[in-house]
Amino acid sequence: MININVKCFSQVKYALGKDELNLELEVGATTLDLEKIIREKANGKLDSVSLRIALNQKYIPHETELKDRDEVAFIPPVQGG
Amino acid sequence: MIKIEIINGPIEFFRNEDSRQKDGAELIFNGRVRVTENGENITALEYEQYKGMAEAELTQLAEETCKKFPIHDLFCKHRIGRVDVGETSLHVVIWSKHRKEGLEAMTWFISELKKRVPIWKWAILEDGSRIPSECAHG
Repeated sequence: MININVKCFSQVKYALGKDELNLELEVGATTLDLEKIIREKANGKLDSVSLRIALNQKYIPHETELKDRDEVAFIPPVQGG
Repeated sequence: MIKIEIINGPIEFFRNEDSRQKDGAELIFNGRVRVTENGENITALEYEQYKGMAEAELTQLAEETCKKFPIHDLFCKHRIGRVDVGETSLHVVIWSKHRKEGLEAMTWFISELKKRVPIWKWAILEDGSRIPSECAHG
């Protein structure tokens, strides 16, 4: 098993009611597997929200296998300025 | 040269410099909090950042802007935390030889900031409730 820290912001935080989650996943789990888990936990509240993925504080364009102690954030549309 | 700051508290504007002799254009942009957000009256916005990544992305964006456009310097301060209506949330200054490249650089920098820097707004409504803003920028 691997331990993953998920940081929650904006609509993800609002939907889950948490700043972060610590999840235990099977070895070989990917960012897409994790996104499915997060969307399920949100009970439909994120269905219309597009999410980009940041792995260890960098955007990643493709599904990526997770490693133990990775930090993942599902980034809803940003709104700086 | 670039300067990037993410600040929790009022923004102190960058100081005017009269010593610059190569720059004919000094562009200043201040983004301020409007009284309405998605058609609802608000008292403030609360800006949330992904600490670490927000500053890294903003720094990288400023560096890209300085490479993409022939400008000399780009300074930027972005506020996080509560920002009351009317207050400045974003302060950008660009110096360039001529205005054209400075204006283009400013437009591109702010457009990209709104696409990729992990900062979000929570609307503080008049009844005190706090919800994620649904305001999306192109």
